[in-house]
Amino acid sequence: MRNNTQSFDFELALDARGVSRRSFMKLCGAVAVAAGLGEAAAPRVAQALEESVIGAKTGSLYPVIWIEGASCTGCTESFAQVDTPDPATVVLEMLSLNYSETLSAAAGESMELAKEQTIHAGNYLLVYEGAILEGWGGQALRVADKPGTEHLIEAAESANAVVALGSCAVNGGWMGANPNSAGALGVQQFLEKNGIKTPVINIPGCPANPEWLVSVLVDVVMMGKMPELNGEGKPAGIFNQTIHDNCERRGHFENGEFVYEFGTKEEALGYCLYPLGCRGPQTNSNCGVTLWNHGRSWCVKSGAPCVGCCEAAPNDPGHNWVEVNTPFRSRHRDLRVAGITFQPEQPAYILTAVVAGALVIHGFGMKVSGRMDGGAPFEKVRRWDAKHPNKSIGDYGNIETAVAAQEALDESLKSKKGGNK
Amino acid sequence: MTRSVIDPITRIEGHLRVEMEVEAGKVTDAWVSGGCYRGMEHVVEKRRPEDAAHIVQRICGVCPVSHAHASSIAAEKAYGITIPNNARIIRNMLEGAQFLHSNILWFYNLAALDYVNPINGLSADPDGALALAKAAGTSTNTDFVALQARLKKFADNGQLSIFSGNWFDADGGEAYKLTPEADLLLTAHYLEGLQMQSKASEIAGLLGGKMPHVMTLIPGGTAFVPTEQKLDDLKMLIKDLKAWCDATLLQDTVALAPFYTDALEFGKGCGRYIAWGVFEGPQWPYDNDYTKQMANRYMPSGVLDELLNLSEPDESMITEYVGSSWYKGSETYQSPYFITDGEFTSYDVTDRYTWVKAPAYGGKPYEAGSMARILAAYQRKNSTIVKMVDQLLADTGLTLTQAQSTLGRTAIRQVETVYIAELMEQWCDELIEAVKGGDSAYFETPKTTTGAGTGFWEAPRGALYHSEKVTNGQIDGYQIIIPSTWNLAPKNDKGEKGPLEQALIGTPVETIDKPINALRTVHSFDPCTACAVHVTEPKTGKHFETVTSPWGVK
Repeated sequence: MRNNTQSFDFELALDARGVSRRSFMKLCGAVAVAAGLGEAAAPRVAQALEESVIGAKTGSLYPVIWIEGASCTGCTESFAQVDTPDPATVVLEMLSLNYSETLSAAAGESMELAKEQTIHAGNYLLVYEGAILEGWGGQALRVADKPGTEHLIEAAESANAVVALGSCAVNGGWMGANPNSAGALGVQQFLEKNGIKTPVINIPGCPANPEWLVSVLVDVVMMGKMPELNGEGKPAGIFNQTIHDNCERRGHFENGEFVYEFGTKEEALGYCLYPLGCRGPQTNSNCGVTLWNHGRSWCVKSGAPCVGCCEAAPNDPGHNWVEVNTPFRSRHRDLRVAGITFQPEQPAYILTAVVAGALVIHGFGMKVSGRMDGGAPFEKVRRWDAKHPNKSIGDYGNIETAVAAQEALDESLKSKKGGNK
Repeated sequence: MTRSVIDPITRIEGHLRVEMEVEAGKVTDAWVSGGCYRGMEHVVEKRRPEDAAHIVQRICGVCPVSHAHASSIAAEKAYGITIPNNARIIRNMLEGAQFLHSNILWFYNLAALDYVNPINGLSADPDGALALAKAAGTSTNTDFVALQARLKKFADNGQLSIFSGNWFDADGGEAYKLTPEADLLLTAHYLEGLQMQSKASEIAGLLGGKMPHVMTLIPGGTAFVPTEQKLDDLKMLIKDLKAWCDATLLQDTVALAPFYTDALEFGKGCGRYIAWGVFEGPQWPYDNDYTKQMANRYMPSGVLDELLNLSEPDESMITEYVGSSWYKGSETYQSPYFITDGEFTSYDVTDRYTWVKAPAYGGKPYEAGSMARILAAYQRKNSTIVKMVDQLLADTGLTLTQAQSTLGRTAIRQVETVYIAELMEQWCDELIEAVKGGDSAYFETPKTTTGAGTGFWEAPRGALYHSEKVTNGQIDGYQIIIPSTWNLAPKNDKGEKGPLEQALIGTPVETIDKPINALRTVHSFDPCTACAVHVTEPKTGKHFETVTSPWGVK
């Protein structure tokens, strides 16, 4: 078998410890009996212990261990949709993906052996997908007869870096949402608690966009450096801007052109989804630039308001995208007091007024450059509505009166502006 | 008598352990253990049905669309909504894209490595591989010489990457039976399959914003509204994908099967099948007749007994037993119910050994999945399915009884994949016609905000059930039964083993530490343990009762 061609310098190691071949074989026999295989299996056990199941320990590919914790496999699935390069190129010509529960040819013990040998050989990257579960002493997640927490500790300790892939790995994700019954948390917090100092790169998203992972791999594998990270350990180039900053519907937001109900003509026109609860303005990510599935689309392009799935505070499982952003269709999260949830209706109206006021200032007031005593003026009527009174979206009572008021306001602004210069 | 354990089972979704008692080279007893508990039902409690449709997709990154679908259907039943016809077509296409993605990925990239040894393709004659492809009538989009050079470069580097710790040497080197040419050909299709599952996901991305975890499938219909540009992209993506499926899937299956006919002798399982049906049918709507709605789906519903006699599903026959699993108590609950809570004790195959519960229909375990759907469609005399199944049986020289096996279950799924690719084309044309005819309804608002409903649906892995109770727009109890929960069920209250456990018994095992036939049997079910583990809210005294018909608003 080709996979067995590379020796594991095992005998040298045994020699160094003064262990003879003969006593080694005796040990293998004991191991075989203990495993219920019978003495006759000793040569096979010896072979298993001696041989490298990962092939060469070093070569042109960067060794990677990819562990799925409490995951839905969505981030692995997302990786399988990567566009540049395609996933086959990644696993054949870029990385030596020695352990992946979804893609590996191996199973069972040979699989765990591959992980062990990769850790032993060192100089590898760990990708961790899914949440860490501390429930029932870690038994909420069981792999190879032990808690998932132990697997993470073993693999993270000697890794060059850990990529916490997806919102679940960053802070527990949706599992951290009330009542967090499995005891979910993120990689960074878990490793800190366990005194492991391996650097963590947080890539949130549900799932994480595969192009984000590849951009990090390019940094680590091809350029031999860590990506520039922000205060939350997230790549700054991706997560230091909001969805709103790059949104293809931003122009309609500025124009006051909104979708108020799903499946309407406004949607076909690509108007802004803000009234349907879009979390674009407060969610940090560049989805609208990177796009998904071979650049084919992204949530907003398909007609769906952003649900803020990149919201994940690494050290606080309670601050996850589900807890922070539900109900997704409302502008405000539900308050949860003593097990009862409710929308903060009264405070919400006040907040709405403040937000709406802020939006008008932001969306329209900013067009008017002149500063006035007492702050920026409110627009009396949307420009588009004034031009198309028969199709106006806003509710002004009598639109002619509103337009007249607007014109008066514009005149006064012009004179102010002149005065400032 | 020895124990053989595979833990972790790989090339599945989630965490699964299989423990087997092996005697005289055959499995005599088996225990299947799902290794992860996440608590989804707790999280959606007191949130909105609209939120749940997004959140429950995170049960599974492979079949998120099915969860969004089942959840939305449950909400629509509770809300008294009938979705518009255009929404039905768009949702069918979104679901269909996911099925194509999942089925292709499963066959070529998950299951195939139990049969195909890419490294053996190194010694193939590329001309021989081309001749083999032509003889099998399968597609030849790959340059076999270039592929071999690529594999050689990979092998020369020496690092094994995803082939680390492989089982290619199992059973004394006899486990992998393909010729080097067949290995090279199917390795080419492994790589093409990787691209094609991605193209299928691209269709889901176009309609749903991104895949996995689509965004537009919502209670009431769809947030996606087609434009001419999007329809054009959609039509061309479907055309490309269908062409590849038509030219490759069944041909590869027929070429592969003769090498592994021994896998017809094991893996049958419980021999009872359950399907709720998927892809809403053409005579939409079905006027609150849920049984008719399910029976008229493109892949119809059906409960099949040991003799494959078909009956219509009845919700009151569904139960779940928790006594072999890590939950409080040992009750058998009738669905829908919202009353269990996780509690890990220890891994003990004589007591409790899994996070998966044991669902039953009429007190018995049932197999869910592609096999169940195809048999239901076959028994309902769906003309396309009957024709394709009969053709596959003729081409492989098998009977329908033989198809109930590890190899049969692995092979028959391609029938469904090709059928769905054809439906995708039909639905796309249907949508274009509807838009042309001026139909512009895609979304319906709720008629009431208090009610209850059940979403009977199918994920690629089989029968999927979401049930919810809604009070003033908030969820007040949510239950999920996933296909893999049916298949990976532990021992039930009567001591009967789950379908996969039954299928493993009798499977030949030559190498205890690399039981490749057992792995083939596990993969034939396409298990998804990420999905399979489910709990519900522990609220004493709160029981959810069926007030009117077994279906619809309660």
